[in-house]
Amino acid sequence: MELKKIFAKVIGINESGVSGSLSRKNTVEWDSINHLLLVSEIEKELKITMTMKEVEEVKNYKELDLIVKSRSQKNKK
Amino acid sequence: MKTAKKQEEKKPASFIEYLDFYKKNLRVFEGEKNEGVEKEVRIAFLSSFTTNGFKEVLSAKCHQLGLSPKVFIGGYNQYSQEIYGQSGELYAFNPQLIILFIDIRAIAGEYYLLPYSRTEKERQVWVEEKKEEIIALIKKIKEKSSAKIVFHNFEVPFESPLKILEVKEKFGWREAVEKLNEKIRESFKKDHQVFVFDYNNFISKIGKSNIFNSKLYYLGDIKFNLEYLPELCEEYMGYVKPLKSLTKKCLVLDLDNTLWGGIIGEDGLNGIKLGPTPEGRPFWEFQKYILSLHNQGVILAINSKNNPADALEVLRKHPYSILKEEHFASIQIDWDDKVAKMKKICQEINIGLDSLVFIDDDKANREMVKAALPEVSVVEMPEDPAAYLKKLESITDFNRLEITEEDKKKGKMYGEERKRLELQKAASNLGEYLKSLEIKITIKKADKFNLPRIAQLINKTNQFNTTTIRYSEEEVEKISKDKKYWILSVAAEDRFGDNGIVGVAIIKKEETKIWEITSFLLSCRVIGKEIERAILAFIMKNANKARASLVAGNFVKTAKNAPAADFFKKNGFKLVGSDKGQERWERKADSVLLPPNFIKIKEK
Repeated sequence: MELKKIFAKVIGINESGVSGSLSRKNTVEWDSINHLLLVSEIEKELKITMTMKEVEEVKNYKELDLIVKSRSQKNKK
Repeated sequence: MKTAKKQEEKKPASFIEYLDFYKKNLRVFEGEKNEGVEKEVRIAFLSSFTTNGFKEVLSAKCHQLGLSPKVFIGGYNQYSQEIYGQSGELYAFNPQLIILFIDIRAIAGEYYLLPYSRTEKERQVWVEEKKEEIIALIKKIKEKSSAKIVFHNFEVPFESPLKILEVKEKFGWREAVEKLNEKIRESFKKDHQVFVFDYNNFISKIGKSNIFNSKLYYLGDIKFNLEYLPELCEEYMGYVKPLKSLTKKCLVLDLDNTLWGGIIGEDGLNGIKLGPTPEGRPFWEFQKYILSLHNQGVILAINSKNNPADALEVLRKHPYSILKEEHFASIQIDWDDKVAKMKKICQEINIGLDSLVFIDDDKANREMVKAALPEVSVVEMPEDPAAYLKKLESITDFNRLEITEEDKKKGKMYGEERKRLELQKAASNLGEYLKSLEIKITIKKADKFNLPRIAQLINKTNQFNTTTIRYSEEEVEKISKDKKYWILSVAAEDRFGDNGIVGVAIIKKEETKIWEITSFLLSCRVIGKEIERAILAFIMKNANKARASLVAGNFVKTAKNAPAADFFKKNGFKLVGSDKGQERWERKADSVLLPPNFIKIKEK
């Protein structure tokens, strides 16, 4: 599963509505608990690990996407 | 075939799929629509940590069982406030099941990581204190609610600061938690309302290091990795199923490549795989586990397309066939389709299609049964026989909240019943058949040994039941101590075996010398053998001995009790009153009613 799909499912919005500008501030459904569910789901589905600092500091979808991409590349190496 | 496949795809499996399923069906779960008391299940979940996700998965799981769930989630770490009822919300919710999940970190507090800052004596005291706290909590719930209570025991910590010397320490930390678990288990062993859920055992299966995700814990006080929530809630369903009477009674088995490897018609008795060889062992062990289910009261049946002589030869002669002919209540082996055979099994055993669990290695057969008989629970068997046993072990459809001696014998009794039917077919008439059965009944006053079974019959019997009044076990016990009442239990046996307690009568002795039969019921297993007349004759005889003037019987019509409708009439009682399906029948106590001469009556 790709990030967009996971994000849409956990946060409960349409996949077409997922974009880099979605942030934890401007998306009501992206609350603190859903954020943790999202991370746990990303880690499981994409087989990556995020640090606690990253989990806390990520503010929007764009940043999340970047973290996932950097991890996936590392995994490939 | 296509529709069935579609349904499968829709079924959620992972945590995220459950969440999604819940969100998409919000109207079903959070609407006020009431689908009737029978289907409604009210579950309260109380815990010591963040419980997001529990409501969604629990609701969806109940929904899959055809139930209409109402789930109450206690506030964050508010379990003791909820229980001690400051807000009263928990009890106002009127739960049928209360799940209480207090985790080890919460109960150990700061000592969780510093267990040895306490002395041995202090650890002993800690265990005793915590045990008392928990017993007090549960006692409080019992005072205020009749809900069944599921209490999680504690995770025995995996890590210890003493490492390899942990086991050498006097009353070590792990030992202390084990002791606490043991004490809690012992406290509720005989309690019909409280069930200790062996959570420590459950997470050992999944892996203690998998269940705890430190990031989720530090950031959100989530102490249970949500990924495993579907598995945990499946365990809860093991309690919900018997609570809502969704339990199954009969395991229907295919033969070739299910009970043994290979095809008997082609491979022959010596060619099939069954026994202590690498290829035979999966089937051998599968059969052993099926027998252990049977010994706990699960009825067995065969549904196989085969040549009967070939197939039966395995059950009769194969040295490693654990399952024998006598274990099966119905044996349907022919070349008819499996759906027709499934119906025949129901007729022969006299149970509903919704009581069956079907196991067949062949996917096409499974899909056919699923499509034609949606009430039957069909097990998705793995392709590899090596995984058969694990699959069967995971099934909670046969769970019960209580098991009586009669329940354990049940599987065996049905096997005996099949032999009776064979005899009946061979006998020239019914009278000859009944005589040849050599029926004996034993009548006994209610006591503490037969009380659980009496209460079970009172609550389960629908067909031969004159008034269908239900009493809980506690109520029956109370009535049995009242001198005005006489509760009798009736056990029956014949040459094929012992049926255990099959009948109950409750007689109220009025001061005006009227003996009133307020309840009279008989298990459907023994209907049609005139046992009811023998019991009634026994009651009449005793009424006369006690110089009563009248014996009265009440009959209240229900949708299901037609078999008992003409019971009093057939035995010479006169109708003296009738109102909206409620009838009162009477007969003079000194008029002799003869019991059937082919039944021996013993009083104990």
